[in-house]
Amino acid sequence: MKISDLTDNTGEWLRGTGPDSDIVISSRIRLARNVARFPFLSRANVKQKTELEEIIRDKIKESEITQDLFYVNLADVSPVDRLFLVERHLISREHAGGEGVRGVAFGKSETISLMVNEEDHLRIQVIRSGFELKETWKTIDDIDNKLEKKINYAYSSRFGYLTSCPTNVGTGMRASVMLHLPALGMTHHIEKVFNAVVKLGLVVRGMYGEGTQVSGDLYQISNQFTLGKSELEIIEIIESVIPRITSYERMARKALVSESREQLEDRVWRSYGMLKVARTISSDEILHLLSQVRMGVNLGIINDIQMKTLNELFILTLPGHLQKLEGRELTSAQRNIIRASYVRKRLEKIES
Amino acid sequence: MKCESCNKKHATVHLTEIVGTAKKERHLCEECAQTVNTQLAKIPTPTEILTSLINQVAPEINEMSKISCPVCGLSYLDFRSHGRLGCPMDYTIFRKGLIPLLEKMHGSTQHVGKVPSRAGKELIKKNELMQLRSELNKAVEKEDYEKAADLRDKIYELSGDNNNED
Repeated sequence: MKISDLTDNTGEWLRGTGPDSDIVISSRIRLARNVARFPFLSRANVKQKTELEEIIRDKIKESEITQDLFYVNLADVSPVDRLFLVERHLISREHAGGEGVRGVAFGKSETISLMVNEEDHLRIQVIRSGFELKETWKTIDDIDNKLEKKINYAYSSRFGYLTSCPTNVGTGMRASVMLHLPALGMTHHIEKVFNAVVKLGLVVRGMYGEGTQVSGDLYQISNQFTLGKSELEIIEIIESVIPRITSYERMARKALVSESREQLEDRVWRSYGMLKVARTISSDEILHLLSQVRMGVNLGIINDIQMKTLNELFILTLPGHLQKLEGRELTSAQRNIIRASYVRKRLEKIES
Repeated sequence: MKCESCNKKHATVHLTEIVGTAKKERHLCEECAQTVNTQLAKIPTPTEILTSLINQVAPEINEMSKISCPVCGLSYLDFRSHGRLGCPMDYTIFRKGLIPLLEKMHGSTQHVGKVPSRAGKELIKKNELMQLRSELNKAVEKEDYEKAADLRDKIYELSGDNNNED
């Protein structure tokens, strides 16, 4: 498998199925792990980093996590390829922008990814479509158990899994749910939701995690604390708040339909029209348009486009994907033209 | 808003004085405020504010500032300025400084989540070894050398493949 082979399809988590998938795009869990008796990466020298990468890569292979695990040496691939992997949620931004020996292993379905030499020696990630944190935990716990048989993790009974940054120590777990909340955004109720979420010790972030802006009405809600609560307790806290947010979003959508149906339909159809005819679309604009159309599909205003196609377009029209598709680096203006033409083609296919 | 005193400069100092039960508000420019109110002449310098803030927020910094990890070489101050630890041992070396930090970040300082089965086994082994060693001591005290030799062999056997530190 090559990175280019990935461009033809997208990860399984984008297929738009699973519980509450009208609002919950995906459920994701990552675990931070370090190898005992090695310094963390910020203090490791080149020799130690090389040794760590070799050990972990071998152990991942030996652990037979999934049959089709594919390993990419990130130091060897182009910046466009790295950006492409970030957009796919297979690696973090930090991992893409890092330096030195580092890599990522992932399965064909793109559900599982294992980052080697990121901020911690190993970061395991599992991502699924819809609201399925418990299932996601089962998968990642199983992978962790397999690896733990081969790798001696840095662990203390007091502080749990020891991590480079003390904000991750303990479970080393970050569980997050990606939500699409256009109606709460339009009706300006989103702030209220977030205040409630923050009180529970959870954090709200943009589509690509820490420090990223919210765009396309996509939000990630994840746990802040990692110490003092078990993995399942943390998951249950997130699980308890998500249904309240999804029902709030549904209520806001209903209110929009009953109070200003014409305006709402107009917004949705205009956005759909724009996607079908525009000749240049910026990355901000497309997220906005896709968000409106996605809500329109969920409300039954638009019927001829599949949720999977829409979810995929959120990813396939990102800068790294467009450049990968074209096989060359593109300026922002060039990307805007190609983005518009790509979306037009995808939507024409549906009509014919 | 103009300064009440000189009526020229922009008022940047806003004072609320309470005399008896009456509340009086004054709006002054920085210059006038310095001359009018002598109490304000004692505005602390930024360094003083910072030091007192550090002492309030993180009193352990002063105490920990001289400590470095013998394994990875990271100093506590390095850790505080970059927020990243250097090696697993730092959790032991900087423990005193870390505990209040962890309390603030997580509201707890005790892991209650997953235990790696390897650590579980080690723990069991450790407890077993402790048990055997205390039995060995008792046997030696009682001068039961046959039993002592037996126990010694068991201890060797159990700890033989265990080169891991605790």
